[in-house]
Amino acid sequence: MLEIRNLEHRFGALRAVHDVSMTVKQGELLGLIGPNGAGKSTLYNLIAGALKPMRGEIIFAGRNVTGWPAYRIARVGIARTFQIPKPYRQLSVIENVMVAALQREHSVARARTLAEATLADVGLSDHAGAPVGTLTVGLLKRLEVARALAMRPELLLFDEIMAGLMPTEVAVMTAFVAGLPARGITVIWVEHVLYAIMKTASRIMVLDRGELIADGPPSAVARDPAVVKAYLGEELSLA
Amino acid sequence: MSLASIRIAGLPNGFALMPRRGAVSLFEIGLLIACIALVGIPLPQNLRDVVVLTFLYAGLALAWNVAGGYAGLISFGHAAFFGIGAYTSTILLVHAGVSPWLGLWVGALASAAAGALLAVVCARLKGPFFILSTLAAAEVVRIGALNWASMTGGPEGLSILPVSSLANMVFTSKAAYAALMLGYLVICYAVTMALQCSRYGYFLLAVRDDEDAAKAAGVNPLLVRTGAMALSALLTGIGGTLFAQYFLYLDPTFVISPELSFQLALLPAVGGLGTAIGPVLGSFLITPLSELLRAYLGHAAAGLHLVIYSAVLIVVMLYFPSGLAGALARLAGGRKPKL
Repeated sequence: MLEIRNLEHRFGALRAVHDVSMTVKQGELLGLIGPNGAGKSTLYNLIAGALKPMRGEIIFAGRNVTGWPAYRIARVGIARTFQIPKPYRQLSVIENVMVAALQREHSVARARTLAEATLADVGLSDHAGAPVGTLTVGLLKRLEVARALAMRPELLLFDEIMAGLMPTEVAVMTAFVAGLPARGITVIWVEHVLYAIMKTASRIMVLDRGELIADGPPSAVARDPAVVKAYLGEELSLA
Repeated sequence: MSLASIRIAGLPNGFALMPRRGAVSLFEIGLLIACIALVGIPLPQNLRDVVVLTFLYAGLALAWNVAGGYAGLISFGHAAFFGIGAYTSTILLVHAGVSPWLGLWVGALASAAAGALLAVVCARLKGPFFILSTLAAAEVVRIGALNWASMTGGPEGLSILPVSSLANMVFTSKAAYAALMLGYLVICYAVTMALQCSRYGYFLLAVRDDEDAAKAAGVNPLLVRTGAMALSALLTGIGGTLFAQYFLYLDPTFVISPELSFQLALLPAVGGLGTAIGPVLGSFLITPLSELLRAYLGHAAAGLHLVIYSAVLIVVMLYFPSGLAGALARLAGGRKPKL
């Protein structure tokens, strides 16, 4: 459903994303990992339209969406979360989700219903009326997920939704993400909490210095010498 | 028991005592009745003037708030929209004999077009840069009005013949003007209330709070902002025509002055940005204060009225950082007020 061909993006002399080509199939849960500065967030920003690629093409559901602005990409069914949560500060939790829900549901009342269901889905119902300023980091990450889900997307881009979470929260969130493909949502997932992604993803891609260096099932990728080297010898734990 | 939880028997559910989003409250109805009473009861001439101006400024503050409060487009140039509305209808009246009731809409549309243009060109600028651009744009309009003397009368201004009739929108009774301005205020309030609970209103708040997140939610920020500025300018332009018909004289140094622009931004800021009741409260406090201080102290001790006026502003901003509406929400025991 998503095909990326020879994608290229630079910041000055830095090749943030270099000649990346990849294909994501419907219903996949694709893990995208790599050391800090590997270009994961840049790749996300290119797919989501926050950045325009300097070269290459992005095909989504048969449509060439290369260079489209972010709001148009969002409307055709690609939703994203932000690594650093970006809530609407002066709105309540449910209103935050309603903005996203309003994209599909034009009536405010129906959007509220969809937002309520989405909050229940991610376990935020108790906080629906709260101002976002009162949420902990863990809850803000869940709010990011809720906003993305309320778009009723076909493809979800998760950017480090586990960072800063307690181990128990990680377990709950991992189970939640693992259940998304069964609901017809394709997921690309960037994560630094490797054990969560390694045991959940059906496929792992590894990005290093802007280039794809590995692609395959988690067990094979973890043993790949190039991947181990990219992480400076750090052992990938499958725990 | 907080004030917000008090429900009056016999009222439909959700009918609150204090203002809240998406519902008309008893407070608002009480305020409206008080305003109608102010129109009806006999008052000395100078107090009538204060009532008329207070209603007009409340409507203008609500209009400003559509862009500044809901869309985050803080404008220090709204006097330009006021002036475009005032001059368009007055020029049509003086030079072509067009009724102000029609000229009002032409002026409003011209003003909305100017607002949309400003947003398309300048809304991509952030924070202080956008504010400065609005200030500059208003100066362009003021200087244009000063120099296009064949139409605007230039620095000598433009006068409307005081032939009173409903068709001319000129009245001998100040009560009639007060009713006209109150109608304007109610329309601006109704527009704000409708905006608050609409899909478009949510998109405005989203763009104001976080543009990147709004884009990721499929919202086109430029389109949303342009619409907000156009609507804000449209309402402001209507206020301009009403002012012209009340004052019967226009002159660029007042009608398109930076002072007026600041005043239009100040009232909602004092009252509470991004709320419906805030701009109204702001005008109800500040406009009478400013007018009465000037009337009673202006001659006796020149400048003293400005000192007192400024002191009140500072106190309000220090102790009510989320405006009078925020103070009201706290009083009502509602949730933490929005900024």
